[in-house]
Amino acid sequence: MILVAGPLLVLWVAGLALAALDGRRRSVGVLAIAAVAVAFGLQAVLLGRVLADGPQELVAGGWAADVGIRLRVDALGAVFAALSSGIVVAALLQAVATGVRSRSLPALVVFLTLGLSGLFATGDVFSFYVFFELAMIAAYALTAASGTAREVGAAFLFAIVNLVGSFLFLIGIALLYRATGTLEMVAVAEAAGRLEATTAILIAISFFVAFGTKLGLFPFHFWLPTLYATASPPVAAIFAGALANIGAYGLLRFGGAILPNELALSATALIVIGSVSIAYGAIQAIGRRDTREVLAYSSIGHVGYILVALGLGEPVGLAAAVAFSVANALNKALLFLSSELRGRLTAAIFLVGVLSVAGVPPTAGFFGKAALFDAGVRAESWWTVALLFVGGALSFVYVFQIYQHDRWRPREQRERATPLGSAGVGQRLAAGLVALVVLVLGLWPQPLLAAGRDAAEAIVVARGDG
Amino acid sequence: MNLVFAAAIGVIFGAGVHLLLQADLLRVVTGLALVANAASLTLMSSGLTRGREPILPLTGDAEPASDPVVQALTLTAIVIGFATTALLLALIVVLYRRRHSVDLDDLSREEAEAAARDEAEEPALDAWRELGLEVDEPEVAR
Repeated sequence: MILVAGPLLVLWVAGLALAALDGRRRSVGVLAIAAVAVAFGLQAVLLGRVLADGPQELVAGGWAADVGIRLRVDALGAVFAALSSGIVVAALLQAVATGVRSRSLPALVVFLTLGLSGLFATGDVFSFYVFFELAMIAAYALTAASGTAREVGAAFLFAIVNLVGSFLFLIGIALLYRATGTLEMVAVAEAAGRLEATTAILIAISFFVAFGTKLGLFPFHFWLPTLYATASPPVAAIFAGALANIGAYGLLRFGGAILPNELALSATALIVIGSVSIAYGAIQAIGRRDTREVLAYSSIGHVGYILVALGLGEPVGLAAAVAFSVANALNKALLFLSSELRGRLTAAIFLVGVLSVAGVPPTAGFFGKAALFDAGVRAESWWTVALLFVGGALSFVYVFQIYQHDRWRPREQRERATPLGSAGVGQRLAAGLVALVVLVLGLWPQPLLAAGRDAAEAIVVARGDG
Repeated sequence: MNLVFAAAIGVIFGAGVHLLLQADLLRVVTGLALVANAASLTLMSSGLTRGREPILPLTGDAEPASDPVVQALTLTAIVIGFATTALLLALIVVLYRRRHSVDLDDLSREEAEAAARDEAEEPALDAWRELGLEVDEPEVAR
């Protein structure tokens, strides 16, 4: 089926072609944008199809189902695939409009999108790992592609920490395969329900560490701030808006669908780690002056909410985790994309992102947080509700702090801090499109909440045993 | 046999982690390669059955076989491990060309100095000035 395999084929061919071309030329950049945009279009149509007709499956090459490479897109995967590709389109648009300085950037971004699209679409645990590494290796190369020694140092730390996480994940897959005897996700989920608790917990911990590292959760976060602060804004937007989705998706897929018993068992631990992450991120963010450092710590804080939502468990919590992940990815992409741009219009665009992170209507961020509140109230977890309130108040403080620091200072001081000067049309267009999506989802949140609900349903269905 | 594999994986993983914690970046990469190999070995040993070939018998009455899938998985894992090691070594080359050192302590010391220089150049953030009030401009050495 063309909708399932189409994005992967387009991106794969485009990536190979772009790798041979000089990415600094504008035409090459435009080609990369076109490829990712086509993939995004297909994934958006696929999302509509999945929400209407249920999961779409494809076994490559007509092989028997347990031999061939199986692609299986359910609501959860389709939501994340469309979200990530969309954010990459906007970020790439801005990168090309700003002027690409490194030869390999367009090709690497396309390969990264290929990895992301693949891992959200696969129905096989090991293919998931392969696509995951494809996306991550492209990301490692992307961070190192240009820059000073500090940037390369940050890239090195990023690569080392995440690779250790990846290999732990691989060991987890080996254990899971040994314990269940299959790699097909639905069958794994069925077999995993019958595992001994000790085995399953060991596997669950290795997955948690791997995806926690990817997300930048509190105890695994230390690679993140320097990387986000030194990467160029479009690359930082891709990392915070698209690449970090691997962690959220992985926790939902492997925790929610494959090992639900262990997820329920560790609910308290998840809520505690999530709360520490929220507090740590928010407090560090308040203490920073540099916009992108604030955003980096804010990312650490906000992924804590996803973990808390997972800890609340059950469809409402899972739906809240999905809705919040979507809103959070859009917010972070928007803020990174508009962080270095100046001018009246971009100030308005940045303000949309600020309001959304703070959770002020009418923005997507409001409904992301509202979904979390709803989940907390329904689970009667008053500690969580209080935490959400305090965390929300803190994020209110630091986002307006950066807005004030960036936009309300006398002109000559702002000029110092903003080497880019006034923004070009393409740069503003990229940020503006994301801002528009955030606003539209804030005014008409039905798609966001429905996507969260359908994705949560898909997770429960994928558990197999019900 | 299982015990041998478990012990080998444990030793290799441990040695890898020990090297990962060193300051010399080349050792860090070597450590990561060891961790990658420990993961490959885990993958491999997850499907081994003693004394059986990892080839699926075509005829029905053939002897039972070891699982061939893990061999394919391990091969993929080896390729990925190889690619990441190559990438990390390339990063080290870039770092060495820029800083003429592959020691993490040297690099972070330089970075801290650079950060301190940036800090000194940035004028102190004055609450009054943020409010737009006139303040006496301090003489900043250029």
